[in-house]
Amino acid sequence: MTTTTNNPPVSAQKSINERFEPYLSIIAPLSMILMVLAFMAIMEPARYFRLSNLEIILLEAALYMPMAMAMTFVITLRGIDLSIGSVAALSGIVMAFLIKQFGVSAEIAILIAIAFGALLGLINGLVITKLRVPDLIGTLAMDLVYRGFALVLAKGLVLARFPEIVTEIGRGQLSWFLPIPVLIGLTVMIIGYFALRRTWLGRYTIAIGSNPEAAEMTGIAVDRYKIYAYTLMGAMAALAGVMLTGKLNAIQATSAPYFNLHTIAAVVVGGTALFGGRASMLGSFAGVILLSMMINALVTLRIEFFWQSVASGVVIIASVALYTWLLTKDRDGAGGLLGSLSTPEGQKTLRFIGVIAITLAALLALGFALTGDPSPSG
Amino acid sequence: MTLKADGVRPLVSMREITKKFGGVTALENVDLDAYAGEVLAIVGDNGAGKSTLIKVLTGVYQPTSGSITLDGAPLSMGSHSDAIAVGIDAVYQTLALADHLDPAANMFLGSELTKSFLGFKFLDNKRMRMEAERVLFERLGVRLKSMSVGTESLSGGQRQAVAIARAVYHADLRVLVMDEPTAALGPQETARTLTLIKTLRQQGLAIILISHSLDDVFAVSDRIQVMRRGRRAGVVQTASSSQQEVLGMIVGADAAAA
Repeated sequence: MTTTTNNPPVSAQKSINERFEPYLSIIAPLSMILMVLAFMAIMEPARYFRLSNLEIILLEAALYMPMAMAMTFVITLRGIDLSIGSVAALSGIVMAFLIKQFGVSAEIAILIAIAFGALLGLINGLVITKLRVPDLIGTLAMDLVYRGFALVLAKGLVLARFPEIVTEIGRGQLSWFLPIPVLIGLTVMIIGYFALRRTWLGRYTIAIGSNPEAAEMTGIAVDRYKIYAYTLMGAMAALAGVMLTGKLNAIQATSAPYFNLHTIAAVVVGGTALFGGRASMLGSFAGVILLSMMINALVTLRIEFFWQSVASGVVIIASVALYTWLLTKDRDGAGGLLGSLSTPEGQKTLRFIGVIAITLAALLALGFALTGDPSPSG
Repeated sequence: MTLKADGVRPLVSMREITKKFGGVTALENVDLDAYAGEVLAIVGDNGAGKSTLIKVLTGVYQPTSGSITLDGAPLSMGSHSDAIAVGIDAVYQTLALADHLDPAANMFLGSELTKSFLGFKFLDNKRMRMEAERVLFERLGVRLKSMSVGTESLSGGQRQAVAIARAVYHADLRVLVMDEPTAALGPQETARTLTLIKTLRQQGLAIILISHSLDDVFAVSDRIQVMRRGRRAGVVQTASSSQQEVLGMIVGADAAAA
């Protein structure tokens, strides 16, 4: 398990690692938050550091807090849920129809939407545990199903203008500073924090993610707790759908397309391991804030909206790679990325990269050498 | 049959246990006696039937034929939890720990202590931690440096102690089966684990130790049961035997020893 070594720097480094390991999940997002702050302090201090902008950041973050809370549970037990964007959209549309078509009171429609989201999450859980479809494929397919239902229901319509309680949930303000969605998000995260430490759900979630066989042997109902986690995820996605509807005072079938990856990015950057067992609610909170700050920074710098997707992807890759590297116990004899490329196996990989690059370059050169008149598509 | 001649009744005894898997006979008419306050080692080559035998004892497998008695009363177990309920538990080589949880959480996994708050039941982490610390120290003489870190950061021997503590926490544990407890440990950790086994023996448990290491077996056991090809090749008193003799019985070179 541990390697004995006579090399003092290595062992010293290990002890530093061990000392920082428990706090890693909060140090990593915090240091990235500081980096964003420093960067923006140089680039756009006047527009970024304003109270009104802080509020925008918090409002954006609030939307993701319930989902990040539930996703922390799902990822900790080695699952993943890619369907949350569709669950949010479909739940929001169901709520909208109940209010607009059937005259259901908004308060009850909101609760129905959340319960409906829980049902969708429950279906995800059943697909994964009872039909034995792997999480990734199962929720990806259910994402298509739920999105399809949303499109069937709403067609191309934008459902807009909702009763006050819906917009209050999405963008309301208490008499003092705190916006209502931020209050909701924070409350949910605090409940999640205690649920992780103080309830069977949290304890068994970690146990299942840490060692599924041992959990089974100890008599934990592994499947049942998985289903609980996915149901919670569905309910929280629906809550986010209600909050989104209120924030925009509108909902349509194609809303919330990037909820899944954005939420996963926030949770993973917060130190919850995709390999299971390692959970950090505080990290997820910091991750949500970080992503919201990054996206706000992109907007402030007047960079196109579509770069958001690039940013989320890069954050996922970077943080997973970073944590994997940091948590590797035995780093003796491995010279990192460069070292791994200098082995014979690495040389072959390098040659392969070279072949692909040269082929692409040659084809590009050929294409441009034989250009005719450009044919605009429309 | 039994080598303890002083009239003490065995705590648990298995009689003429046969276990067949389809056409394969894994165990054939195997007897086993374990006494309270004694370490019985089971040795044998791979495939000799050691694991099958203890899986029958711990309720994981049901024997094709044969009987088990605990304290003279016949015992029939349908599952591993039945065995735990009557005081027979096992610590496996893999330890079955959730390594991201702290020692106390692992010890109480599946049977958490709770307290009520506003009518809801919550896990009582503080009490579990105190209990875990107490059991580790009082029963095993082990004090961990930190009770709040995941068991992944403990040494092999300490993780073993946590796994054993989980088994002995149940006050009515009477038979503890240990499957290759020292296989993954270094010399120091092995010595500590053997000390743990001796401590538990003093507390009156019947300990059944499965091991490939004859050094460990001779260091800690009172009697050695040798298995060969699904049969009991013989039982010897450790004090009056030698590694040479036991080795002979394992490979079947010295039939007279049986």
